[in-house]
Amino acid sequence: MAKPKVKKDESATAAEPASDVVMDEAPTSHQPENDDNMSVDPNENGEEGEEGDEIEDEEEEEEEVQRVRLLPGSTPTAASFEFLNEGHTLGNALRPDVEFCAYAIPHPSENKMNVRIQTFEGTTAIEALQKGLRDLQELCDVVTDKFIDARERFVAASAS
Amino acid sequence: MDYDPMIMDDAEALGPVVKISQADSVRVKWELSNTDISFANSLRRVMLAEIPTIAIDLVEIEENSSVLADEFIAHRLGLIPLNAEGIDSLLYSRDCDCDGCCEHCSVRLILHAKCTGDENMHVFARDLVPTGDRINQVLGTPIINDSEGLGPLILKLRPGQEIKLECIAKKGIAKEHAKWAPSAAIGFEYDPHNKLHHLDLWYESDPKAEWPPSEYAAWEEPPQEGEPFDYDAVPNRFYFNVETAGPLPPDVIISEGIKVLQQKLAGLIHELADEGGDGGVNGDGYNGGGPRSPEYGAGAGMDGFNGGYTTPFGGAAAGNQSAWGGAGGATAYGTTPYGAGSSWS
Repeated sequence: MAKPKVKKDESATAAEPASDVVMDEAPTSHQPENDDNMSVDPNENGEEGEEGDEIEDEEEEEEEVQRVRLLPGSTPTAASFEFLNEGHTLGNALRPDVEFCAYAIPHPSENKMNVRIQTFEGTTAIEALQKGLRDLQELCDVVTDKFIDARERFVAASAS
Repeated sequence: MDYDPMIMDDAEALGPVVKISQADSVRVKWELSNTDISFANSLRRVMLAEIPTIAIDLVEIEENSSVLADEFIAHRLGLIPLNAEGIDSLLYSRDCDCDGCCEHCSVRLILHAKCTGDENMHVFARDLVPTGDRINQVLGTPIINDSEGLGPLILKLRPGQEIKLECIAKKGIAKEHAKWAPSAAIGFEYDPHNKLHHLDLWYESDPKAEWPPSEYAAWEEPPQEGEPFDYDAVPNRFYFNVETAGPLPPDVIISEGIKVLQQKLAGLIHELADEGGDGGVNGDGYNGGGPRSPEYGAGAGMDGFNGGYTTPFGGAAAGNQSAWGGAGGATAYGTTPYGAGSSWS
C-alpha cells in the first residue's frame, strides 16, 4: 500500500505545476485512504497495459487490509495505534494496565479509532495492547461461563 | 482496570457476577455486576448492532398491482423478522464463492397472492414461503408469534389485485441496516438511586416525589439522609433487559453478543501477532501523512504548534513523504486551500 503512494506523489509533482490542481484529485477524506483503489498510478498503467492492470486490480481486492497500524512517531513505550472498523465498542472497553491509555474517534464518518498507550518501563506499548486485548477476552470467557451457570440455575429454579 | 482472572478464584464475589431475575421467550432481565461500565456498555452495543441475523435484502417483483409502490413493499419485506437459528453456518454473501447468491449464503422466499374474492385480502408474513435448499429447516422462515399464526401484515389487496415476488434473504448485522437487529430493545440501567450523580434530574419542587423509583431501586441500598457524596464511587451493578425482535431467543442474543465481542478481540490479537514481526504494525513501511503519534521526548523537527497532530495537507513537518503534502509544499497540492505548504513551522 505504501509504495504506490510515493509514486503517485512523484508523478503528480512532475506532471502538474503547483497552481494547476485538479479538484477531483484532491482527497475527499481528511486522511489519505489506506485501501486506496482510487489512486491510479499513471506510470504503472503505461508499463503494464490493460491486462496487467486487471490482474493488479484483482490482487488488490484480495489483499487483506491491515486493520491495526502503529502511527509514525511512536516510541516503544509510548505509541499511538490506528484501528480500522472499530469504534467505541472496543475503544472504551479496552483498558490495559498502563501509565496512560486513551482512545479517540477522529471523525465519525471514518471507520477509524485511534488508541494512545504509554507504558511504564519494562513493557512496550504493543505488549500492553496485546495484554489488554487478551485480558478483555478472558473477561468475556468468564462472563460467558457465569451467564451459562446463571441460566441453568434459573431454568432449574423455575422448573421446580 | 485489571481484569486478572486469577483473583476471581478466591471468592465468587470478586469476579463478574451474573444474575437472571426474569426470563421468558421474549425477554431476559439480568444483572451483571463486578465489571466496569465500559465492558457492560460494550456488551450492550454489541448486542444491539453486531450480532449477525438474516433479513430480506433483495426483492424481485414480477407482478404488483396493489396500491403500494414496489420499493415500499420491498422495504416492508426487509423489516420482517426471519428465524436466524443456525445463522453461524450461513456465509456472508460477500464472502461466498458464488456469483450473486446461493444456498450457502442466502435463503430464497417467494410470495404470490391474488385477491379473487369480493373482499379485501390481507397478505401476511406467513404467506412468504421459503424455497430451495436451506442450511436447516428453520433458517429464514418468517417469525410468527401471534395466536392466529399470521405474522406481520405486509399489504392488502383489493379484488383482482395481485402480488408476485421473489425475495433473497441474506446475512448481515444491524450496524449496516437496522433490519438485521436481533433485539427489539435493550434496557440498560445502573445506579437506580442516582448516588453517583450521573443524572441531573429535572424537577419542579422535589425530585424524589416527581421521579418514580426504578424497578431496581429496591435492589440497592438507598442513600442515607445527609450522606456525603462519594466522588470515588464507580458504577458496579448493571441491569440489562434484553428483548428479542424474534430472530434469536433472548438468551442466545446475550451469549452471541459475548461471542461477537470475543471474535472482534481474537481478530485483533491475531493481526497484532501476525504482523508485529514483519514491520506491518510498527509503521516502518508507512510514509507519513495522516495522523501521527505525538512526539514523545525529542520532537525532532517539530515546533510547538504541530507537535501533536500533523495533518496530511500541510507538509511542514518532518518526514515529508506524505502522500498529499510533499517537501516544502512543492506538490500539486501545495497551494490548495488544504495546506499552505510553506508555513506551519
